[in-house]
Amino acid sequence: MYRYLRLPILLVGLFLAVSAYAANNSQPALTTEDGLGPQVQQPIEFPHNRHAGLHDASDPNKGGMEINCQYCHTYARRSAVAGIPPLQKCMGCHNSIDSVKDRPRIKELFKYWEAKKPIPWKKVHDLPDFVRFNHERHVKRFVEQQNRPVQEACGYCHGDVKEMTVARRQKPLAMGWCASCHEKDHPVTAEGGTPVDGQAYWYSFQKPVKTSDSALAPKAKGPNDCWQCHK
Amino acid sequence: MIDSGIDRRDFLKVLGWSGAAVALSGCGNTSIEDGKETVVSYVEANDYMVPGIGVYFNSTCAQCDAGCSINGRIREGRVLKLEGNPDSAINKGKLCGLGQAGVQHHYNPDRVREPLLRKGNKGEAISWDKAYALIAEKMAGVQGDEIALLSGGVSGHLKVLLGNYLDSLNTKNHFVYEAVAPGVVRAANQKAYGVEMPRYRLDKAKVILSFGADFLGAWVSPVHFSQQYAQFRKGVDGQRGVLVQVESKMTLTGANADRWLAVKPGTEGVLALGIINALGTAAGEVADLVKEYSLVRVSRETGVSVSQIEKVTALLKMRSPSLVLAGSAAEGYAHGSQNAAAINLLNQVLGNVGKTIEAPVSVPFPQMVPSKGNTAALKKFNDGLSAGKYKVVFSFGANPVFTAPGAFKFKDNFAKAGFKVAFAHYLDETALQADLVLPLDSALEDWGTQVPEYLTEGAQINIQQPLMEKLHANTRGVGDIVLALLKQKKSEEYKSYEDYYAYLRSALLQNKGALGGGGADDDTFWTDTLSRGIVKLAGSAVGLTGHQNVAGLKLPAVAEENEHYPLYLIPGVTASLRDGRHTNQPWLQESPDPLTTIVWDSWVEIHPKKATELGIVEGDIVEVTSRTGSVKAQVYIFPGIHPEAVSIPVGRGHDAMGRYAKGYGVNPFQIMDAVFEVETGELAMHETRVKIHKTGQRVLVVKDEGAAGALQMGRKIASRVSTDQIDLSKEV
Ligand code: SF4
Repeated sequence: MYRYLRLPILLVGLFLAVSAYAANNSQPALTTEDGLGPQVQQPIEFPHNRHAGLHDASDPNKGGMEINCQYCHTYARRSAVAGIPPLQKCMGCHNSIDSVKDRPRIKELFKYWEAKKPIPWKKVHDLPDFVRFNHERHVKRFVEQQNRPVQEACGYCHGDVKEMTVARRQKPLAMGWCASCHEKDHPVTAEGGTPVDGQAYWYSFQKPVKTSDSALAPKAKGPNDCWQCHK
Repeated sequence: MIDSGIDRRDFLKVLGWSGAAVALSGCGNTSIEDGKETVVSYVEANDYMVPGIGVYFNSTCAQCDAGCSINGRIREGRVLKLEGNPDSAINKGKLCGLGQAGVQHHYNPDRVREPLLRKGNKGEAISWDKAYALIAEKMAGVQGDEIALLSGGVSGHLKVLLGNYLDSLNTKNHFVYEAVAPGVVRAANQKAYGVEMPRYRLDKAKVILSFGADFLGAWVSPVHFSQQYAQFRKGVDGQRGVLVQVESKMTLTGANADRWLAVKPGTEGVLALGIINALGTAAGEVADLVKEYSLVRVSRETGVSVSQIEKVTALLKMRSPSLVLAGSAAEGYAHGSQNAAAINLLNQVLGNVGKTIEAPVSVPFPQMVPSKGNTAALKKFNDGLSAGKYKVVFSFGANPVFTAPGAFKFKDNFAKAGFKVAFAHYLDETALQADLVLPLDSALEDWGTQVPEYLTEGAQINIQQPLMEKLHANTRGVGDIVLALLKQKKSEEYKSYEDYYAYLRSALLQNKGALGGGGADDDTFWTDTLSRGIVKLAGSAVGLTGHQNVAGLKLPAVAEENEHYPLYLIPGVTASLRDGRHTNQPWLQESPDPLTTIVWDSWVEIHPKKATELGIVEGDIVEVTSRTGSVKAQVYIFPGIHPEAVSIPVGRGHDAMGRYAKGYGVNPFQIMDAVFEVETGELAMHETRVKIHKTGQRVLVVKDEGAAGALQMGRKIASRVSTDQIDLSKEV
């Protein structure tokens, strides 16, 4: 009897305690009204559109400069984490672009540089510590292996950055969302592709299904082992 | 917990429900820190700095004096993990647990961060300029012999600089003190072999007979010896080496031995002479010396049975070369030198000198060889203090207020010194007594060179370099402090060195040729040296004499029973805590003692027979009383201790230092009597006699060893045989 009484009490208590904790612990909402991540206030409003956007043929002072994402975000192809470009990177160009040196944001940039202080950027994308997303693998797969345009590949997760000023999270970055892509059939022998029969389908892609139509490239689903992300 | 009526199924239900609660209330967010946490980028980054990818730097472990070389993994500018540097002949890529904990020394929350000046009972943060000015002021008009410096072992360029500073002060009062050091063995070795520390070749021996040398745990160079030991176990010619350990308290090495012999405390030398006699190979004066040590007498005096002595003797006869070691258990008595001499004589009789006892190499830069710490130095320092001789006292690298034997009354004597300056990482017991505390860089932030006392293949100078930026802006390296003080005295000579780094660099570059960098340009040589972390030097072999003088060898009669204090107190030196200077590193508190599995606390080891006699069970709080004082601690019933002895590990029982050290356990140094080794004046650490009595309290001993433990829940998973019942001829 005692035992039967005790369990529900424990359950209800725990439920209340945990809910109360979770409710008090104000987390940003999973999605905002427009379905995107929260608007993040940055110390300098970095205009992604100006850097990565398309040229405006009519007016070189408008439009973007079509800089490759990887020019600044060089770590993405080298490491699991993309990091933030060092300040030195910004200065590499801005030191010699006199025409914008008097703009408030650039002045701000110089201030940090002269003080040799890093800019305290706020995180726009963050995953819980038990998830290990690997930038390098995705860049290798889509950009180097399949020759997809860089902006497209990065855009799978980061959205159309060339249209943004301060970046904002575009995708839910939740497990179901990741899986929605990993469950798709991806061609595993695109240009620059990998051999299939000898084992080396791309990283841990699942074993490719061979179609009867030999003209079609074999397709395989993305990695689905738990440990690929939960290490 | 176990019988509280909740079974596994219920537990899982609860878990499931609380999980659901979390999900419902919106904790399932993935981007948990969006827009909240700051991500800091580099201002300037080298090509090799990639976020998420580790870079590795070589340096030197500073957790003990063995001088293992380390290789630290640094990511995003933070040191994360230390491993051994494979290039070092000392540790060959390995590291002990104490060494691993070095990162906790660096990130320790209780580090001193500002220079502190005593204001009553408080420390007031002051600037470095003020601190240096204050030292200069206090030094004005003070004679050289009124100034004293107490330090731990020092070597390398720091030793040189320190020597110059002391010269400039016109003082010879440098006391090099290590609470746990083989001081007596060094002296005995000097007599027997002509060198303080020969090179022991455990790997070449077929039998090792160790008299209390815990070479796998805490003795001299444990990581190096562990590797040699592995070789020894594989065997020189396919025959597995046999280890016999003779000691009154089982050490980690003793626990690994094939044969562990409990010897009556202090009679190690008697046993050694008895074995020489039993071997029957000695002639001349040696034979004369040992002829009185008949098996029966030796057995009676040492408590080791005749058959055991015969077995060990047979083993030594059968297998050669062997190696006999004199460790801290043998040297810890008033007649420690005699014990060690008898043991060294056994080596000589067995013909081991030159085979498993080799000549060490000498370091070509004699000014850099280590000043080795011992306990005789503390006595001298303490005497000086008690006579009120010193007006200014410096202290670093040692914590004498904690480690001095209670009988020294060190704390009171220390208070008699005029102005006390401590260079410290923590506000430990000694720093708390100081008038001025100067905060030090951690070993992972500091520059330095080190020459280990125990060298292996060839000589080497170890490089210590910062693995990351300093954590606290106002800490300084020891070298920087000494240099700054030296500049007060000899500004002309040293003004060209902006800091210790500059001094070190120029000192090494000056000797580029001798350091193997001849031909290379300065920058290349320097970068190369730093990236290696070790400078290997040819070094010539020192001559080994191998003649133990028999004339002076006379063991005293076995100590009488002491009516009031019937038990010996054996201070246990453990592999992770050593003399207690690193107790504030929680990993060391947390890792179970290998023999008792106890964590975060002290204990008193008592033999089961003695415990029954006294009506004591595990967990009883007993009061251990010596002539000097008493401590109270929990009992651990331990078959690996001589019935006439109790053992308390040293290193715990701090009443300062930091949150992980303060208040855990008791400090057996406090109750240690001031008994000295007759020839060397070293502290006889095993001579304290105690009595114990129950206080009536009992606690649950917190240990990893479960109910299974040594009793194995009665299941006989691994059965136990007493060593008497083993037939040695089958064993070998
Ligand atoms: S023995 Fe351990 S603590 Fe000592 S230097 Fe080597 S790794 Fe460091």
